[in-house]
Amino acid sequence: MSEPSPPSARRPGELLFSLLLAVFSVTAFWQSYAISGFSGLSEPGVFPMLASATMLISSLVILRDVVSKPATADAGFAQFRRDIVPARLIVVVGFILAYVITMPLLGFLVSSAGFLFLSFWYLWRKGPLVAAILTVVSLGAIHVVFRQVFQVVLPQGSLIQGMF
Amino acid sequence: MEVLGHLAISWLDPWLLFLTAAGTLAGIYVGAIPGLSVTMATSILISFTFKWQVNEALALIAGVFVGGVYGGSRTAILLNIPGAPSAIATALEGYPMAKRGEAGEAIGLTTVMSVFGGFVGIVALAMFAPLISSFAIMFNSRDYLLLGMIGILLVGTLSGESFAKGAFAGALGVLIGMVGLDPMTAEGRFTFGSITLMGGIPYVAAMIGFFGVAEALSQLNNLDLPVIKQKIDRIIPKLADVKRYFRLALRASGIGTIIGALPGTGGDIAALLAYDDARRTTRNPEVPFGKGCKEGLVAPEVANNAAVGGSFVPMLTLGIPGDAVTAVIIGALFIHGLKPGPLLLVETPHLFWFTVGNLVLANIFLLIFGLTGIKIFTKIVECPKAILISLIIVLSAVGTYAIQNNPSHVYWMLGFGVAGYFLKTYGFQVGPIILGVILGPMMDSNYRRAMIGARGDVGTFLWDFVSHPISLVLSIAFALMLLSQTPVWRPIVARLRRGS
Repeated sequence: MSEPSPPSARRPGELLFSLLLAVFSVTAFWQSYAISGFSGLSEPGVFPMLASATMLISSLVILRDVVSKPATADAGFAQFRRDIVPARLIVVVGFILAYVITMPLLGFLVSSAGFLFLSFWYLWRKGPLVAAILTVVSLGAIHVVFRQVFQVVLPQGSLIQGMF
Repeated sequence: MEVLGHLAISWLDPWLLFLTAAGTLAGIYVGAIPGLSVTMATSILISFTFKWQVNEALALIAGVFVGGVYGGSRTAILLNIPGAPSAIATALEGYPMAKRGEAGEAIGLTTVMSVFGGFVGIVALAMFAPLISSFAIMFNSRDYLLLGMIGILLVGTLSGESFAKGAFAGALGVLIGMVGLDPMTAEGRFTFGSITLMGGIPYVAAMIGFFGVAEALSQLNNLDLPVIKQKIDRIIPKLADVKRYFRLALRASGIGTIIGALPGTGGDIAALLAYDDARRTTRNPEVPFGKGCKEGLVAPEVANNAAVGGSFVPMLTLGIPGDAVTAVIIGALFIHGLKPGPLLLVETPHLFWFTVGNLVLANIFLLIFGLTGIKIFTKIVECPKAILISLIIVLSAVGTYAIQNNPSHVYWMLGFGVAGYFLKTYGFQVGPIILGVILGPMMDSNYRRAMIGARGDVGTFLWDFVSHPISLVLSIAFALMLLSQTPVWRPIVARLRRGS
């Protein structure tokens, strides 16, 4: 859609997020300046400085807009946890983090099986047996399509190399 | 004769034929499932095509693009949930038709008309791209700098909640694109002494993170939405209907092609403009607009598919992606060692004509798949999100890893995914970020070339922007864009209207 109208009230955590963007922009500008300072207009740091200056100015405009919005009565931490970072999101991001950390160690098949089983079980809630069957079927399909047909090199795993 | 040979490459090679068909089919389903975007599918697919021949990669990607733009209309008609933003207008008329028991007819009509629009867009691509390309050879460094800035700003301003958010997202993308060793001086930028960072952040990790993982995380909030089911009847549209809407389809194709060809605009804007045009120009529709009017269904569908051909024009001739999907495709071309721009048609004309021929083929497959398999389709669309989200994450992780077999890229992908989730939640669009990542290095090198050309003198540098005809036109366009985002714009427009 071309221009979704912004909500009239402040979303939970929006003020903090906008502040973080401004702080990030200041840091980015400082780091850009550290590349080559103002030593010349065609130096490698000039364009990063222009980009980070744009970020800084726009983040300040965003911050001003957010501050000018009325805060809803339920814009506290509890609402932020419920609407923006619900438990489901934290758990799934945790699964993904574990998945990407274990993939180089255990290889694609073992780590993906673990991730898929846990996420199917947790998100679909149809029991461990259904999750296990679905894991085997979907992993088999992915392996055949990407490894056998498309010849994609999948991570082997340094701990159990050669087993899978 | 040589052109015909290039056009027919994907028609005669069984493997390319298969890849185009598979891409189109996959695109229809991905585009149809709400929450799964064509951009997401394309960005994940690109990582798997990294080691392929460029023709194979393009065949698959073109199929996904064509199928995906169309696919969004299916769920718009059946469930009143547009599978993609370009199908929003379709839902306004298609769903009321489905409620009247005319879902099959609506799907059949949109399929035939979408293919018609697709063909018009391709004809325009074949006719105008070589012309624009020969003109674009005259472009200077500063013109490319301006084009890059216009592209990012247009995507940022047209698709987001506010100009500031669009500008922030675009600049953030440029900054991400700057990470690594400077190609001109080999000086490190944002590397913090890390050897991994010296190689830069790969586009694909950013694309998959922002489009794949971020979208999957956002969809976690929609897991509990109930599934709506629809009954399907006749699918092949009546010939009388196709004839009746021919003129409207031709006009909508023109709108779609032109809008698609403008940097920063895409199928969604084309569809809305064509819908608006149909509403204003249709006299005495059989059914009022908003209640299942066929004119209102045909126009946006024709326009968004025509925009596909149009969007390839700036991408292939200027190296400027028209929207998020073409930004991803341009990334794929870079990965395959190609440099989209005016010289692409001079140095690799076979690739251009291959793309044209392949898009035609994808549209033919669209017609076949669009008019068949609707019953299986409704079952697949009902696939629980819990399954889809988990599979998307696995494909995203493997796709990112597959680029260079580097686990650190997967961490980047996850980081961008989480950042993208928060940005999307607070009303930022991730499209400008990807455009920035891809266009940032090009803009940086062109800025520096222009500055070196001006011998480091700011006055000469700025004067060059207004003293050369092409630069002047682009500078005016850029200035107008910036002005249109300020409070003074509305009074100026109002005064001009009163004056006229």
